[in-house]
Amino acid sequence: MCLCFSAFNVQAQESKINGEAIFGDLSARHIGPALMSGRINDMETHPTNPRIIYAGTAGGGVWKSNDAGTTFNPIFDEYCQSIGAVEVDPNSPDNIIWVGTGETWTRNSVSIGDGLYKSTDGGANWKKYGFEKSERIANIIVNPKNSNEVYVAVLGALWGDSEERGVYKTTDGGANWTKILYTDQRTGCADLAMDPNDPNTLYASMWEFRRTGWSFESGGNKSALYKSTDGGATWNKIHNGFPEGQLGRLAIAVAPSNSSVLYTVIEAEKDERKGLYRSDDAGANWTQLNNDFGITVRPFYFSRIVIDPKDENVIVKGGLTGSISRDGGKTFKTLGNMHSDIHDIIFDINDSDRIYAGTDGGVYRSWNGGTTMEIVENLPLSQFYHISVDNKEPYNIYGGLQDNGSWYGPSRSNGGINARDWNSIGGGDGFRVLPHPTKNIIYSEMQGAANVWRYDVDNELVKTIQPLPVEGHAKLRFNWNAPMATSEHQPDRFYMGSQFVHKSEDMGNTWKIISPDLTTNDATKQRQEDSGGLSMDNSGAENHTTIFTIAESSLDENIIWVGTDDGNVQVTKDGGTTWTNTSLNIPGLPKNTWVYHIEASVHNKGTAYAVFDGHTMNDMNPYVYKTSDFGKTWVSITTPEIESFARNIQEDYVNPNLLFLGTEFGLYITLDGGKSWSKFTNNVPAVAIHFIDLQKRTNDLVLGTHGRGVIIIDDISPLREITPEIMTKKLHFFASKPTVMVDQGGFSGSFGAETQFVGRNPSRLPQIKYLLQKRHTFGKMTMEIQDMEGNKVSTLSPGKSKGINIVNWNYRIKQPKIAKGKTTSGSVSPRVPAGIYKVILKKGKDTYEHNIELVYDANAGLTEIDRANKQEINMSIYDMTQELAYIVYQIDAIIENEDTKNKLREKLQALKETLVITTGDNYVGSAEPQLRELMAQIFSKIAYSYDKPSANEMENLMIIQKRFKKAKKDFEKLKSKAKNKTIDLKSFEDFLND
Amino acid sequence: MRTLKLLSTLFIFCLALTTTAQTAEEIVDTYIENIGGEEAWNKVESVKITGVGKQGGQDYPFVATFMKDGRSNITIELPGTSLVYQAFDGETAWGMNFQTQKAEALDSETSLNMKNEAKDNVEIFLNYKEKGYTVEFLEKTTLDGTEVNKIKLTKTPVMVEGKEEENTEIYYFDTENNVPIASESVVKSGPAKGATAQTIMTDYQEVEGLYLAHTIIEKFNGQTGLEMIYKTIEFNTEINDSIFKMPKE
Repeated sequence: MCLCFSAFNVQAQESKINGEAIFGDLSARHIGPALMSGRINDMETHPTNPRIIYAGTAGGGVWKSNDAGTTFNPIFDEYCQSIGAVEVDPNSPDNIIWVGTGETWTRNSVSIGDGLYKSTDGGANWKKYGFEKSERIANIIVNPKNSNEVYVAVLGALWGDSEERGVYKTTDGGANWTKILYTDQRTGCADLAMDPNDPNTLYASMWEFRRTGWSFESGGNKSALYKSTDGGATWNKIHNGFPEGQLGRLAIAVAPSNSSVLYTVIEAEKDERKGLYRSDDAGANWTQLNNDFGITVRPFYFSRIVIDPKDENVIVKGGLTGSISRDGGKTFKTLGNMHSDIHDIIFDINDSDRIYAGTDGGVYRSWNGGTTMEIVENLPLSQFYHISVDNKEPYNIYGGLQDNGSWYGPSRSNGGINARDWNSIGGGDGFRVLPHPTKNIIYSEMQGAANVWRYDVDNELVKTIQPLPVEGHAKLRFNWNAPMATSEHQPDRFYMGSQFVHKSEDMGNTWKIISPDLTTNDATKQRQEDSGGLSMDNSGAENHTTIFTIAESSLDENIIWVGTDDGNVQVTKDGGTTWTNTSLNIPGLPKNTWVYHIEASVHNKGTAYAVFDGHTMNDMNPYVYKTSDFGKTWVSITTPEIESFARNIQEDYVNPNLLFLGTEFGLYITLDGGKSWSKFTNNVPAVAIHFIDLQKRTNDLVLGTHGRGVIIIDDISPLREITPEIMTKKLHFFASKPTVMVDQGGFSGSFGAETQFVGRNPSRLPQIKYLLQKRHTFGKMTMEIQDMEGNKVSTLSPGKSKGINIVNWNYRIKQPKIAKGKTTSGSVSPRVPAGIYKVILKKGKDTYEHNIELVYDANAGLTEIDRANKQEINMSIYDMTQELAYIVYQIDAIIENEDTKNKLREKLQALKETLVITTGDNYVGSAEPQLRELMAQIFSKIAYSYDKPSANEMENLMIIQKRFKKAKKDFEKLKSKAKNKTIDLKSFEDFLND
Repeated sequence: MRTLKLLSTLFIFCLALTTTAQTAEEIVDTYIENIGGEEAWNKVESVKITGVGKQGGQDYPFVATFMKDGRSNITIELPGTSLVYQAFDGETAWGMNFQTQKAEALDSETSLNMKNEAKDNVEIFLNYKEKGYTVEFLEKTTLDGTEVNKIKLTKTPVMVEGKEEENTEIYYFDTENNVPIASESVVKSGPAKGATAQTIMTDYQEVEGLYLAHTIIEKFNGQTGLEMIYKTIEFNTEINDSIFKMPKE
């Protein structure tokens, strides 16, 4: 009965392609960069162990340091990477950690959260505790006397109304929650504090706020500061001494050393009434102390006050530079030089001179009270808005970052991809970066296309080329993240988008507008000078009714697709003479939904994919559509498997049914043109993916994430072969291209960079790839490499996972048997010659075969004859090495035989001492090298060189060969005197196979 | 005969596991039963394994000896010589310094931690309750496409840089065969401290009525570090006691 059920289940599952059962060894590598790191939202200390520190990041998850902030490790990769708050339970600090998702410094580009999580084992495992629709959690506070009593401050939805806001309380460790403070659907809890001496006394700041795609509003009549003295049962406003009128975002902090002392930072209507207020009577009365720029700047982005745990008069305020006061808040000075935009600060629990700051550019440490700051170098939290790749060897990745300029770096580098491998290619906030298709020239930009740079890399020449307003046209409206595009047809062609499409045929020197205003031109969405609410905030981040994406078809240069942030998908088939808005009747798509990306198909002129992002309209659904008729009709290709809104899609260049979707919570892949999607999780965290590119030569999928830098899945080509038929096979080998046996080398000295993040390199070895229908758990499964005559060349460990398995072969034969001595001599495994080799995979009774091809590296400049000679020489030393090993083995056996006479023993020992090192050690006590060592030295020199053996090397080899010949002769003479009948000597073959 | 036995065991797994959800205790008890049973495993006084470690394209033959009483010795072959990589005599952990090839004691914290874990020498889940360990069922999930039961094993606390820390490992039991196919633990010390290390277990085969994984793969951040392939496994063979004691100069 049970077996029948199992069979039925298998059949039912096979009707849909289950990606997780396929992806197997197809795994991602992270290459950073980490040198500029990324935005931090919240930091947390351990109450008793100063070595442990947590960083809750805006887009890169939760990171834990075990070494007082020297290095960090990620502990939250499987879950939403946008973090609002991290809380360590003071009652069980080694075990219980709470994480509230959804960043709380509500800039235009913030991500969203998906609830509250708890770990009971120090971060190894996590469980969700509700709040799925909370979007942003500002604080979590555990009663220091009772782990089951927890308060959660929910800031809530940024882009729309929501009732899941306010202060919540559990008394059963998170099983049940009660909303204990709520104002309305626009007002959330921005900050929550507890009296350290009385867990029933709480302070909560409520904030009325709202963002749209074109505006931000902070403040209103509902913003207020509340106090409860009964564990949240009742709340009262504590505004005595507060400014008149509407209030905006308020911060609240209670001094750990004196809980009567409170500080709040107030956003108010009048500038002179904004700033820092202090209460010395637990909130009964407030006095304004300071309204300096550093205190009042951008309250929605900087509203954190932190008080020295040992001194209520030392306080730090987050801000553009961060400010510290040592006179109770009367005056401030800026913190030491570090990346701007400081969101949170923590003091070391024992030593207040040690300060950690969370900024838009990662975590900084100070050892002198904040005067000098140093960056943590292993937090790859870079927040890419866009990435692109070139076709160099190795290819480079280009991209722009939130508040961290624009950069490019290699996909591979000696010793891994280090900080020093990345090159700056633009300032400000970075967005799109594109390499010129044929020249060593890079285009980059800053926010709102205020500068668009063209950088001539070879000649180090920089020119700004952004389109400027000209007579006869309206004021140009560029998006904060303005689109640019190049052409596969005309290398010098370059596009930019404002509300118009700008085209240049000379790399931006001259511009022509080739479209009318392609947006809705809705004037009500163009009042950015009024944006901000109580604190004006016209940074350009809310510029709207603009073009956001441009794609010229690779099949026809006259076909150009354009998407706008207010929902238009426009297409021209005549190079811009006429345009058609194709998005007026897309089924199921809400009007004016932001067109985030259009992918013009490489398979068909009329085919394109459009990704719409509705999150700025409080719509978190994914909208991905396909047209095959130039936009006359669109079909949705989303399925319920996709968890959140999407921003980008990448079409495979070979298999039109293979598509990659970048969503707010990670990467999804479809193998059937969008009928079903599977989340790809093999080392791809649930991070927001803003842009995807596919490198054509390597088939590497390159992800530009907004919080975890660049993530690469090397060679996705096996996915192209997956079909329902292949999935029914027990084992399927994937096709592989000939692999070059690389001769290149280099150096990678890395002293001084021990605590830096290093990006992983791709494998350059031949890879044997196959699909296993089922995981192999019981019995033997082996893999062997054979030459075409069936001779064993090498044995490998086959992968045994369900799905795709990838096995690397280092194209070397097994290391030779080495003569035994006192020390190790090192060993040399020579490469096999180029050619075709058989892979023999045995699984139980079944045998599977596949051929792989190896080719020589043309860069080395060796001829076929050179290669053949070198191979012959290598193998002659290999054989000599093994013969020597056999001689030494025999000598040892004869010496150890009790029938051997002492005189013979002495002679054999004397001979052995000329063959191998018999004294000393592997370091400075090493003995004089003997035949084994000399043989290994010349073997290594010849075999590991890219070049053919030199005359000098050959002369040296002759000396060794001569010495070996003599040794062999000497040994045979002595052996003939031994009583061999009483010795059980192995044959040469048995010795080798032992 | 061996095949028949294997098949019948697999059939038993299937029947045992298509019933309702199991507790962690049941999963572990079934595992011990399926790999030979508590009684047979309790008769194991020593395990001697010969095999090959593969790392960085090189083969390192090894002989590993584990005693039920906690003593152990792992000797590896390097090109042209061999050395004791790590050994434990019940009190002191030691190994040979690569440079000098002389035995050196490991730091006392490592010795203490090895002493605490010495009771796992034969099989980690054997008599886990008597050892003071606890198991907790976390969830039924998938690992690399295979359905698994995720179990948390909490062992004797470990000393880390002078402080006692909780010592847990996650085990993934394949739901079809009810054997662990992987385990994970957080690295407690050294440069990789805080990172997660994964161990993959495959090629379960029967030896003298007991089942053991014959291929062990150590992965770090998803990348294979060391692969160990067992060639022979012997139980209760004659062991020279001197291999565990640190030699004097």
